[in-house]
Amino acid sequence: MNMMQVMQSVVWAVLLWPCLVSLGVPLECKDEQGSIILCASISKEKLLDRVIQHAELIYRVSEESCTLFEEMFVPFSMRSQRNQAGYTCATKAFPIPGSKSEIQQISDKWLLHSVLILVQSWIEPLVYLQTTLDRYDDAPDTLLKKTKWVSEKLLSLEQGVVVLIRKMLDDDMLTTSYYEQGVAPYDLQPEVLESVLRDYTLFSCFKKDAHKMETFLKLLKCRQTDKYSCFLH
Amino acid sequence: MASPSFLLLFPSLGWLSAVTSSDPFVHAPHFTGCKSREQVTFSCWWSAGSFQNLTEPGALQMFYWKKNDLTKEWRECPDYSSSVKNECFFNKNNTVIWTTYCVRLSSKSQNITYDELCFELQDIVHPDPPVALNWTLLNVSRSGLNYDIMASWEPPPSADVSVGWLTLVYELQFRRRNSSHWKVLEHEFGTQKSIYGLSTGEEYEVRVHCSMRAFNNFGEFSDAIFVHVSEIPSKESTFTVILVLIFGAVGVAIFLMLIIFSQQQRLMVILLPPVPAPKIKGIDTELLKKGKLNELNFLLSVGGMGSLHPFPPDLYQDESWMEFIELDADEPEPGEKEDNLGSDTQRLLSLGHNNHRTNHGCSHTLSIPDIDYDPELPDQETLMLMAALLSSQPEKVEPCLGNRRSHSNPPAIEVLEVPCPRLQAPGLAPEGGERPLVQTQLGGPHSWVNINFYAQVSDVMPAGGVVLSPGQQVRAPEDTPTTEEDKKKIGKMEGGEEEEERRNKKLPSQLLVVDPEAGGYTIESSGRQISTPDPSSPGKVYHAFPPPPPYLLHTTPLGDYQSPYILPNSPAQFLPPVLDYTVVQDIDSQHSLLLNPPSPQRSPSCPPQPPSKHLPTMPIGYLTPDLLGKLLP
Repeated sequence: MNMMQVMQSVVWAVLLWPCLVSLGVPLECKDEQGSIILCASISKEKLLDRVIQHAELIYRVSEESCTLFEEMFVPFSMRSQRNQAGYTCATKAFPIPGSKSEIQQISDKWLLHSVLILVQSWIEPLVYLQTTLDRYDDAPDTLLKKTKWVSEKLLSLEQGVVVLIRKMLDDDMLTTSYYEQGVAPYDLQPEVLESVLRDYTLFSCFKKDAHKMETFLKLLKCRQTDKYSCFLH
Repeated sequence: MASPSFLLLFPSLGWLSAVTSSDPFVHAPHFTGCKSREQVTFSCWWSAGSFQNLTEPGALQMFYWKKNDLTKEWRECPDYSSSVKNECFFNKNNTVIWTTYCVRLSSKSQNITYDELCFELQDIVHPDPPVALNWTLLNVSRSGLNYDIMASWEPPPSADVSVGWLTLVYELQFRRRNSSHWKVLEHEFGTQKSIYGLSTGEEYEVRVHCSMRAFNNFGEFSDAIFVHVSEIPSKESTFTVILVLIFGAVGVAIFLMLIIFSQQQRLMVILLPPVPAPKIKGIDTELLKKGKLNELNFLLSVGGMGSLHPFPPDLYQDESWMEFIELDADEPEPGEKEDNLGSDTQRLLSLGHNNHRTNHGCSHTLSIPDIDYDPELPDQETLMLMAALLSSQPEKVEPCLGNRRSHSNPPAIEVLEVPCPRLQAPGLAPEGGERPLVQTQLGGPHSWVNINFYAQVSDVMPAGGVVLSPGQQVRAPEDTPTTEEDKKKIGKMEGGEEEEERRNKKLPSQLLVVDPEAGGYTIESSGRQISTPDPSSPGKVYHAFPPPPPYLLHTTPLGDYQSPYILPNSPAQFLPPVLDYTVVQDIDSQHSLLLNPPSPQRSPSCPPQPPSKHLPTMPIGYLTPDLLGKLLP
């Protein structure tokens, strides 16, 4: 009898083992994207997917914000500023590959770190943009909302990339959100053409860098799924 | 979102036009566009404009400069395209993303710059059209009129989507074959899209193009494919049609039933017209009711309307001269009486004693002996006419009795109420069914319709004629406003004026006018008066006392003053109804009766009579004693 009971319990334990395991393991992260720190475990693929989604969304919103700002404040004659080789985005500390072939030759680590640096470099300028836009008299509400949203999501993206680096590269580098102090507060009056152009440059450059982030992350994803085909192209 | 590459052209053009500042129709050489298909390579195109001297190849040169170049010098186009004119192609080695490019179009000697353009690679990407556009049928609607399809395609092979280098968004457009307007569907991130609501039997065109996500630089459209689904006659549709027809028929049937049931009466009348009930002239349908068979039998036997049964003379003989009917003064209105024929009949036929008994008021009964107008007749017999001296209360006269009589079969017996007790005539129990009709023959001197005052009424014609006792047919002269006031009071004389009208069964008898004061009888008869103006038998009007021709007492229509009792002696002739009586208005000092115009007073409450049962329009006169004397045989 005792033997039978023990056998039964063992059998039951064996049958219910997946449940036990699942009970013991914390649930996967289902809360908002980016707050992966709260989750105990998430697969790399899922994390990468979520990070890519973040980057895509950030890029789309940045593009919309740039367009809104351009339509509202930038004179038409100035809209073609870009073709005058005018605006200059802040150069980064590291060279960013320019062509697809070059990017494909870059390692995963470099890609991830590039993304992280890019994200971190834009955290403070976006905060500045928020404050600047508040000073505009007739800034549309959507523009303010989008800018605010982007700066929040950027922080989430930063956290996700950090976790991704940790997971993929097994790098425990703690490089979370340090603010560059390079951007000095501007005292220029808003809606003066100079400040408008400066803000416009900020929007445009951020849009471009968001595109970079998205591209890097996608290339990284391709490598995760099919390394050979990604490199061959 | 503006396409930066195209926006670049406008200021360039403006600058060039400002630079040239020449003929506005002259177009300087300029860039027509720079495009990249896959974000790896790009090309730029230009045109020489209207400068003819620069059209030869090599006249124009294009230089470019990248922002991250260290040298900052303009390099010439790395690859002038050999196949396409005025095109410069940058291969992937010369293409850098996220870097500003500037291109310049200048003359060969590099001293004149016609156009300049700056861009970044990701901003000029216009992907190639998707390939392998195809469609599959999803489903067809139950009616067979609409269907849904799923269109699918593949990304352009040049676009490196799998690597993630390009993220494309697609836009599907479709239209009917002959339409000029394309319907645009939402941007789709996937490579398939469903189209709903296409119509069977119509041909559609579908095409798709793509763009970099969030850039809105759509490339060329793919080749359009044609979608067509032929109409399928489905059993379901016919089944539906049959079902609809059935329901429609049921609904119509219900509607018809409702109409029929609501209009049942009318339909019955239309479809099955009522069979006219048999009518016997002179017999009132009231008699056919229960309880009145006696009268009916009497009528039929004795001689109803139209029948020519002669009244047995013995009956008449037995008839006392003095027959009177006592009426109650409180008799109901003539109008009512008129309606209640049955009661009248009863009253007349059997209830005469009731009348007697019900005589409450100052009602008097008059008995009028039958009087024969025929001068041959003994006077006594004929001239014992107790004319109802009507008090000047015409309203008490039953104006409608005549009417009633006109259409009442029962012998209308008119009883005049005599207000004065003096006029109490020796009561004579009226016979069961008959009462003498007392008719005051008051009226014009002429046209005395001869009335046998004491004629017995055997039947009453609905037309107003009254069948009198034997032998006499009374014919009322039309123009005689004489005494034949037609009022036959059928037993309902009201107080006041009483008219005695009697239906003369006998032929024209003299009219006796009774002088209430005198207490005697005055018979007024004038040949002329008495004689019915019946042209047919003028002289015979009065006659016929003894022989028992069928006589009819016609009550003249009131408008037509005729002697109701005097009829021409043609048995077969039924005279038009005779006016019953004239109301005696008053009696003058000479004890003459003053007759009032019949119509206005006599029938205040008289309903419209059947034809001319009404008071005669006879000229009202009064009988002087002389006239009365004449009347006497």
